[in-house]
Amino acid sequence: MMSSVAATSASAAIAAPKAGDDIVVEAVDVHKWFGTSKVLDGVSLSVRRGETVVIIGPSGSGKTTFVRCLNHLETIQQGVIRVNGHFIGYRLRNGKMVPDRPRNIARQRRDVGMVFQRFNLFAHMTALENIIEAPIRVRRIARDEAVATARALLARVGLGGRENAYPAQLSGGQQQRVAIARALAMRPAVMLFDEPTSALDPEMVGEVLAVIRELAQDGMTMIVVTHEMEFAREVADRVVVMDKGAIIDSGTPHHIFLDSRHPRLRAFLAKTRFQAAS
Amino acid sequence: MSFDWSFFWQYLLEPSSVYLNGLLLTVVLSVVSQLFGTALGLAAALARLSTLRPLQMAARFYIWVMRGTPLLVQIVFIYTGLAAANILRFHDAHLGFLLIAGNVQAGILALSLNEGAYMAEIIRAGIASVDHGQAEAASSLGMTRGLLMRRIVLPQALRLIIPPLGNQFNIMLKNSTLVSIIGVPELLLITETINSATFRTFELYTVVGLYFLTLTTLWGLAQRGIEARFAAPSPESAGAVAVRPRRFALRNLINAGSQ
Repeated sequence: MMSSVAATSASAAIAAPKAGDDIVVEAVDVHKWFGTSKVLDGVSLSVRRGETVVIIGPSGSGKTTFVRCLNHLETIQQGVIRVNGHFIGYRLRNGKMVPDRPRNIARQRRDVGMVFQRFNLFAHMTALENIIEAPIRVRRIARDEAVATARALLARVGLGGRENAYPAQLSGGQQQRVAIARALAMRPAVMLFDEPTSALDPEMVGEVLAVIRELAQDGMTMIVVTHEMEFAREVADRVVVMDKGAIIDSGTPHHIFLDSRHPRLRAFLAKTRFQAAS
Repeated sequence: MSFDWSFFWQYLLEPSSVYLNGLLLTVVLSVVSQLFGTALGLAAALARLSTLRPLQMAARFYIWVMRGTPLLVQIVFIYTGLAAANILRFHDAHLGFLLIAGNVQAGILALSLNEGAYMAEIIRAGIASVDHGQAEAASSLGMTRGLLMRRIVLPQALRLIIPPLGNQFNIMLKNSTLVSIIGVPELLLITETINSATFRTFELYTVVGLYFLTLTTLWGLAQRGIEARFAAPSPESAGAVAVRPRRFALRNLINAGSQ
């Protein structure tokens, strides 16, 4: 059922992307149900190389679910997702989208870095081991090279001296910075951030946002789900607002935070700290 | 009550070579069966967690049968039953200079198969206890299921598997006496043999009980040491020192299990 539904509405999107348009992430008409409740209702989003897209919206609006679909941590029931021109999670067979083989899905995920709300560092490995694990085992990079890269990345996220620390010995903010370094070590085409500061104590939010801000300045392609409105306004090239499983508005931070007259957006922003700050 | 103290002390403190061979066989049977059983349990646990339905069902069936029938019945079934039905006969085998009797092979097979079912449930519970976020993070880095199981989930599950594994080995030491029913000359059968010649039942069974108590006590001490090594790294503990031997030991255990 899933594949045939996906085929009908996706046919328009199946055509290969035009050369030179430099789209890294492309989601077309993505639908998802959890049982009988619809959590994604026709979400479409294209992200260009080097672009920072920030997704905001009330809890339960589907923004986390959408980002998790982009590396197939969640299945979708309709629509198409492409990263770097490759379908994610599904493949074409006889004109229909069918679930891809686990091995192919694993291969596709190499190019999609993900940072989780709860860090999810490997608890039995040091910071350095966390970072070199996938480059060595998945990308088959020589250990020396992986270690050198990992050290550089740790220095970049401000944790140069902590390479032998275990996750339990690091603060939340430090753990999240290691997690960012771990994702970067795979040299992904795009970085996904799923509420990267929501599980942090307030005093640690800044250090993590600073790292993400720097990545944006360095031209990393990123999709960031966050509740930090100030941050969204500051780093986003484009802000996307989701509500009830759909994108209700998107545009420059200026448009979203100051110009948009969308009633549900205004109601949402009124409830956040941003309103008081602006 | 007549208790022959000198007989008791003699058998306790100056056991004959036959008796010591029985003791050795008890230990070897237990260790080998525990190793095979643990490897089998790991395979069955992974099969149960597999997405392949036939594999899942096979593992369920195996666990169901092995946990649902008496070990003593399994031992006799495998050695005597299969031979009587002309399905499988265990012959003595030469491994280099080592002679492994047919009934010892059957005994090890039965103990291992039985142990595997219990270990499967223990390992499955250990795997299930590892935070799902660990597997998600590994998948998001492009790890295949096999790789993330081996590198990320199992090493963390081990900490929860070790204590019940120790407990299982304690049970294994005692359950190994059951293979005396098919004539394996382990400690209990040797005791029975001596008993039939001397009729010093009270003394002999006290001695054999004390031998088992010593074995399980020694194991209990070893177990405490092993568990301390595998304890969770606390934020205060200096990671490098406390954790290195832990990972080293893990490698040994996995290597041993897969042999």
